[in-house]
Amino acid sequence: MDRNALKEKLKELLISGLRLQDLAPAGIADDQPIFVEGLGLDSIDALELLVLIEEHFGIAIPDEEIGKQAFASINALADFIVAEQARGS
Amino acid sequence: MGADLTTPVVVTGLGTVNALARSAVEFAHELRRGSCAIGPLTVFDPTGYRSRIAAEVMPVPEASCLPSPLRRRASRADVFAILAAEQALADSGLEVAASPHRIGVALGGTTGGMLRAEECLHARIEGRLACYRPGPLLATPISTSADLMASAFGLRGPRITVSTACSSSANALGMALDWIRLGRADAVVAGGTESLCRTIFAGFNALHALSREPCRPFDRRRSGLTLGEGAAILVLESAESAARRGARVHAELCGYGASADAHHLTAPHPEGAGAVLAMRRALARAGLEPEAIDYINAHGTGTPLNDAIEIAAIKRVFGAAARHLAVSSTKAAVGHTLGAAGAIEALATVLALRDGFLPPTVRLEEPDADCDLDCVPVHSRPATLRYALSNSYGFGGNNTTLVLGRA
Repeated sequence: MDRNALKEKLKELLISGLRLQDLAPAGIADDQPIFVEGLGLDSIDALELLVLIEEHFGIAIPDEEIGKQAFASINALADFIVAEQARGS
Repeated sequence: MGADLTTPVVVTGLGTVNALARSAVEFAHELRRGSCAIGPLTVFDPTGYRSRIAAEVMPVPEASCLPSPLRRRASRADVFAILAAEQALADSGLEVAASPHRIGVALGGTTGGMLRAEECLHARIEGRLACYRPGPLLATPISTSADLMASAFGLRGPRITVSTACSSSANALGMALDWIRLGRADAVVAGGTESLCRTIFAGFNALHALSREPCRPFDRRRSGLTLGEGAAILVLESAESAARRGARVHAELCGYGASADAHHLTAPHPEGAGAVLAMRRALARAGLEPEAIDYINAHGTGTPLNDAIEIAAIKRVFGAAARHLAVSSTKAAVGHTLGAAGAIEALATVLALRDGFLPPTVRLEEPDADCDLDCVPVHSRPATLRYALSNSYGFGGNNTTLVLGRA
């Protein structure tokens, strides 16, 4: 999957998985913070996102610090997934 | 503030979301019209149940006053409660920010977010969900509606969720009354909320308690109840506080009485002993004789047993005065909303007192010989009412009677 398609998929996953129906994928900027002041997600959304990433990409995020970096934005999340997939292949 | 158990407590804010109406104003209008909101069950698949009808809130309005994460995780019951509270607080004109620690929340409910929990469970069992996610399950406990309400409106006083089956929200209102009289809160946002769910529907179905056609309380052909959903919220405060801020007073909450049957899990006591005790205690707390009561909003579920025993209990309490009473069941219009029923019916009673009418028992066409009081069949009637009771009886023998008075 190319990077743009991956980012698009992540946005759709956020919207459907976290029930952000009042948002459209185009309404989420690639470098926009996902949590708090960005999309307004909270710590429970972060736990949900962990499950979603594991379910859809088979990537477990065991460490909270890694999670914080990976969940900074759509760009950061895409970087993290690409790196993990490269490591696993 | 000290305790004064005689402090008059009044209702200054009204709100509701139910199958019949999306506001107290609409509710008053529909009760007067004699409308019935019972229709096909669509919230979940009705296959396999002997009854396939319910009084549904469809579509569920958006709780736009909640911030995004809370709104996304709110259960159906949470949404009903939040919307009703938003209306009631706006109606009361209460300045929450001026004394947030003095405003409490007392809510009744029985199943909370069960509907969503059932959906998660089904998805997991059917393999549509690889593992459970925290968000959808967070709204499962019945306490979440009161939690959200406090968060959404900044209410920082005492908070409680009461669960005594179908008398839950009547007890919540009673507890709110006590808090104000005991000086523990200046105002309480009180009521109840309930959403339809498979677990409860299946349970009542298995007990043969559900009617195949819309329920007909007090009718000789009655064959069971019809489940409903929704919420009603009343803002209660001392009469003095209401007067000080020039608030509109809808009615007075004069007292309540509670009792237990200690008899059977689902059947009422054969002589209505618990119902009699609750009504007598309520009247005593309000300092009223039976003759002072003009109207009773009955528990009136439409099951053969409940209605006959409730009417017999009323006759025991009221004696000859029962002949001058009007007794009706608004469950025929809005369904049996379980944990919300006490609050929705207290609201109906407030509207009846305030606007001067008797809410009808819609669909009561052939009165049963066992229900030979004036049960206000089919059509509402204008009436000048001074005091009224609202009865709520729950499974397990949880009985509560509220006494309400015209402002």
